[in-house]
Amino acid sequence: MSTRARCTAVLVLLCIGLLATAFGGGAADLKVAVHLQGAEIVPYWDPSDGASGEIALMNNLYETLLRYDPDTNEFIPVLATGYQQSEDAKTWTFTIRRGVAFHTGNVMNAHAVKASIDRTIERDRGSAYIWAPVESIEVIDDYTVRFHLSQPAPLDLIAAAGYCAYVFDPEFSDHDWFIAGNDSGTGPYTVESSEGSEKVIIKRFDDYWGGWAGSHFDRVVFLTVPEASTRRLMLETGQADFCESLPPTDIEAMRGNPRIRIEVNPSFQNLMVLYNNQRAPLDNALVRRALSYLVPYEDIVEVALGGYGRVARGVIPHGLWGHSDRVETFTYNPTVARALLTQAGYPNGGFKFLLTYPAGYEDIRKTVELWKAACAELNIELDARAMPTAERNAIARSPDPARRQDIYLLYWWPDYANPDSFLSGMFYTQVRPAYNLGYYSNRDFDGLVDFATTLPSGTPEAIDMMVELQNILQRDAAGIALWDMEYLRAMSSLLGGYRDNAAYPNVVFWYDCYRE
Amino acid sequence: MIAYIVRRLLIGLLSLVGASIVAFTLTRIVPSDPAAMWMGPRATPEQIERTQIELGLDQPIPVQYWRYVSGLARGDWGISIVTKRPVLRDLATYLPASIELILFGLLIGFAVGIPLGVFSSAKSGSLLDHGSRLVSIAGVALPSFWLAMLLQLTLAKWANLFPLTGRIDLLMEITNPVRRITGFLLLDALFTGNLSALRDALWHIVLPAVTLAMYPLGLATRMVRTTMLEVLSEDYVRTARASGIRELKVLRKYALRNAIGPVLTIAALTFGYSLVSTFLIESLFTWPGLGRYAAKAIVSVDYPAIMGVTMLVAVTYIGLNLIVDLVQALLDPRVRLS
Repeated sequence: MSTRARCTAVLVLLCIGLLATAFGGGAADLKVAVHLQGAEIVPYWDPSDGASGEIALMNNLYETLLRYDPDTNEFIPVLATGYQQSEDAKTWTFTIRRGVAFHTGNVMNAHAVKASIDRTIERDRGSAYIWAPVESIEVIDDYTVRFHLSQPAPLDLIAAAGYCAYVFDPEFSDHDWFIAGNDSGTGPYTVESSEGSEKVIIKRFDDYWGGWAGSHFDRVVFLTVPEASTRRLMLETGQADFCESLPPTDIEAMRGNPRIRIEVNPSFQNLMVLYNNQRAPLDNALVRRALSYLVPYEDIVEVALGGYGRVARGVIPHGLWGHSDRVETFTYNPTVARALLTQAGYPNGGFKFLLTYPAGYEDIRKTVELWKAACAELNIELDARAMPTAERNAIARSPDPARRQDIYLLYWWPDYANPDSFLSGMFYTQVRPAYNLGYYSNRDFDGLVDFATTLPSGTPEAIDMMVELQNILQRDAAGIALWDMEYLRAMSSLLGGYRDNAAYPNVVFWYDCYRE
Repeated sequence: MIAYIVRRLLIGLLSLVGASIVAFTLTRIVPSDPAAMWMGPRATPEQIERTQIELGLDQPIPVQYWRYVSGLARGDWGISIVTKRPVLRDLATYLPASIELILFGLLIGFAVGIPLGVFSSAKSGSLLDHGSRLVSIAGVALPSFWLAMLLQLTLAKWANLFPLTGRIDLLMEITNPVRRITGFLLLDALFTGNLSALRDALWHIVLPAVTLAMYPLGLATRMVRTTMLEVLSEDYVRTARASGIRELKVLRKYALRNAIGPVLTIAALTFGYSLVSTFLIESLFTWPGLGRYAAKAIVSVDYPAIMGVTMLVAVTYIGLNLIVDLVQALLDPRVRLS
């Protein structure tokens, strides 16, 4: 046998040997969970900056003073063991938990809380504006911190926000250090390794103040898998434990699979329509109301969402306090729409409206198509254009009102569990529009919104006020919500301890979970 | 020879400048708002304005271009709008995975495609020839995403022969991590003697590499068959056969050696092409490579990342073309560099 032949034989044998044993080998006794996301895991590594998909990872690395439970409307103490508010809701005092260590080894105390929030406010990135009412933060002693507000605000809700409310070690808060994939939180897990922002492995933090008694995962792998079909296959083959979103068709196909559990949970997210309240003929409430009666709400939920969603009632979604059956609502009724148009002086329609909606959302595209068809019946043309958000916003925020759209569609969700976000965010008078992109201006409405912020969250009085505010919007048809989204969760049927919390969208608190 | 190389390098530099101008202009005329993207979905107009200044987006495009190009010269390729990390660092993170996959894919493609082309030409008109033509046409014509999904469904899900996604088993990565030396997982596992990780990584690379191999396989088969048919009709081949030299030796030593030139060119160009064509394959197999990074950058109009990938691909194309020309001249004395 020649030398070349011998070498080839050795190489072939080596390959066969390697491949033949590929399935062999045991793994250490580690409990590892795999969490799949369709999008980027960490758009923002800096805990002061977030406003996006990083929420799922960050809430396992970092903690907030409180956590909000929308089902019971109660606050769960996390880094604060208790708090008090003044009668005017302008002074809030938090008692900080003792014996909590940062992942860096330093001790968490009131000074760290102040430094963290101060840094977030100072950077003014992402959702940092939630702290806008805070005038100053005062450290009373090592374990007591007091917030002084310039105006009444629900600071308990703000302190429990899923974004920009994290407490971190001020000694390890360099932006570049965070960007390199490091963390300095107090959460049950800390970063072990990261590969870009598409794969992050977190490991349990042994000194976690909650302890590790009971069953918990030792590691959690967060993985970006852009293709829905691949996410589904990974779940079906047992390569993943949790998948935060899949199309309704995949969900339906997996329903009979005993290895998969499907959960349909309420969310605080809805699809909003904002009419341009300043341009004729949409400056006429009768025309806006007529358009609202031309939306085939039920068909949209059935066709565009595959039945996984709820027809909205008011702008505050189901499940969030302030939502109520007492809010007036629109239904699909072309007869009423025609009567309203006639009353407005447009019996034959004849309008063409520029409607912009975010590109890349199949459910919204179908919604628009259905609405467009219904409007065409009354000789109203919707010139619907799918655009990237930045481009749409450039048009919507144009200083020249003539350049702006007639109808603007957007997904909306609150930065913290506060219905005020849906009211003041999109309908409070804004001289320079940020998200009031229907340019609605009603001073009475504004005054009531201001008053509503002084009321304690979730109380009957506050809920009554929310109902009244929503009814004003409905009567004016300033803008309408089309549907309330439902989150479709697919997970291994062996995953225990999982509980969806709409206040923290897409977050799995992995510390609470275990494998059965 | 040296004058030729210098001239080619200068032309390459001009091509790079041209590519950078085109790519930079295109990324800027596409309607988008990088500052808004940088600040996230709830950015206020004030935050966006502040970011525009911070990122230098308030400057005229020629000024921005000049800043970008001078940054390139200093090794500053900008900051990715999506990952918020330096683009150069991102490229260094993602490139090795892609190169590993592409080399593996090309190895499979050419290792199968060249012999298939040779035997196909030697047995022209036979069943083998028809079969190889079918394979080569399918290789070139089949969409890679379709093939990837087919392989995932049949060999990963149903037959459970190969892993579905990833570069290495997640549990393996945690329990038996490979120490990073070069960034090439297979090499690092080999260098560190981590054979179990090497086995696992080899097992993971098979399906994406086979998917990627289909195009070069088809191309190589067709190219080799055509050039071999031409060479096999030459007088010197007839002479060699008449001299009683074994057919296998005639094909390998006399015919293939003279027919391989165009395949080399194809190999180099295919490498450059594969850097781009891996977009879908990497997405489907959750392969943490440059293709996935680029695809994400394009969708998000992440202009610094798009520019970084463009420049990298352009340099690769130009460099490989030059190398192929030089190698061809070395292999074939008839080729003159002029």
